[in-house]
Amino acid sequence: REEKQLELTLEALISQVADLKNSLVSFIYKLENEYDRLTWPSVLDSFALLSGQLNTLNKVLKHEKTPLLRNQVIIPLVLSPDRDEEIMRQTEGRVPVFSHEVVPDHLRTKPDPEVEEQEKQLITDAARISPDAAQKQIQSLNKMCSNLLEKISKEERESESGGLRQNKQTFNPADTNALVAAVAFGKGLSNRRPPGSGASVQSGQPGAGAIIAGASGMQQVPMTGAPAQQQPMLAGVQMAPAGQPGKMPSGIKTNIKSASMHPYQR
Amino acid sequence: MEAPPVTMMPVTGGTINMMEYLLQGSVLDQSLESLLHRLRGLCDNMEPETFLDHEMVFLLKGQQASPFVLRARRSMDKSGMPWHLRYLGQPEIGDKNRHALVRNCVDIATSDNLTDFLVEMGFRMDHEFVAKGHVFRKGIMKIMVYKIFRILMPGNTESIEPLSLSYLVELNVVAPAGQDIVSDDMRNFAEQLKPLVHLEKIDPKRLM
Repeated sequence: REEKQLELTLEALISQVADLKNSLVSFIYKLENEYDRLTWPSVLDSFALLSGQLNTLNKVLKHEKTPLLRNQVIIPLVLSPDRDEEIMRQTEGRVPVFSHEVVPDHLRTKPDPEVEEQEKQLITDAARISPDAAQKQIQSLNKMCSNLLEKISKEERESESGGLRQNKQTFNPADTNALVAAVAFGKGLSNRRPPGSGASVQSGQPGAGAIIAGASGMQQVPMTGAPAQQQPMLAGVQMAPAGQPGKMPSGIKTNIKSASMHPYQR
Repeated sequence: MEAPPVTMMPVTGGTINMMEYLLQGSVLDQSLESLLHRLRGLCDNMEPETFLDHEMVFLLKGQQASPFVLRARRSMDKSGMPWHLRYLGQPEIGDKNRHALVRNCVDIATSDNLTDFLVEMGFRMDHEFVAKGHVFRKGIMKIMVYKIFRILMPGNTESIEPLSLSYLVELNVVAPAGQDIVSDDMRNFAEQLKPLVHLEKIDPKRLM
């Protein structure tokens, strides 16, 4: 059961690492080939992607079902100075042979001896400092960090509010209404009809029996107002001139109102 | 192709009982690039797609008080694409629990003699426009950002002028009736576009 668990984990790790590798490859490609037209937001996008993938990788590693990988031992069974096609393929041409020369580099779990030496040095240095002095250093570092943080966040706030002021308007509600009315029932689109003709307004409303009462009233307005323009058009089409004289007053009101409200209506 | 029903009964039964969930908004021309950038980040990874369509809206007057409306759309920039015939039902605003406008919709791909057929049936063209813009997808959601152009000379799609200084932004999902849950996803997506664009359920009746 444990083995199965391990296999699953490895599979997950491999796929995560492959994702990460692909992102890195495409980012490097971008940097090398598109550096002249690369924009900062797109670089940030790439970074965000990488950091997200690293996070997922970390999550997989820290997952409770992940067996302790440090307890696993890998031993090289065969070393050979000959070219190994399989390993060549799996490493995409990076490691041609699995020999005594490369194995220590690829399978090592400890840092380089020099690095190890430096680390030891640092640890002894740290041990030599008295607790009091250490406490002082910690405090001064914390102070510096918080000062810096404050400065950065202040700067951020200022630039943000400045930015907001700058692109305060990215959309215009009146335009939204005009555009929605245009796609819904062709308002403001038609050139053939005189302005405000109710015919186009009424048209886009299938099954609008209940709400049409006001609209068919509107239709009357231009007909009385501009009979010469309206009549020929009506003659050519199948349009029952539904006379609703009772609705006329309300129609006129609606029409005037809508005409003054919509700047794009012709 | 079946004859379009002249009744005002909703089209029901089988797989054609589909509903369109819709949110609308607009973006000013100068903010278009920011919106497109954000959409490229939010939506499914795909090649940026643009479209240039010509839409004609046809009416059939029956005995009913209001005419029957069909929309015919054709692509102007891609040849060999079928025409698109669309019926849209009466939009319902619904209550607060549903975050999108809902309307019945039927979509059919047709041959290019669609307009002749409609005219033969007694339909007449009411209005037409040209739509030019970008389309994005995220799962089953479709996001369209497009400019609407008025056609100056009837039938001549070369001489056009923009209707406004904004692009219309539409977020829609076509789903079987009763799947109001999709409107939650739409609302979440719309939230991510703020404050650049405010996508809302806009009742067109209010704008008549």
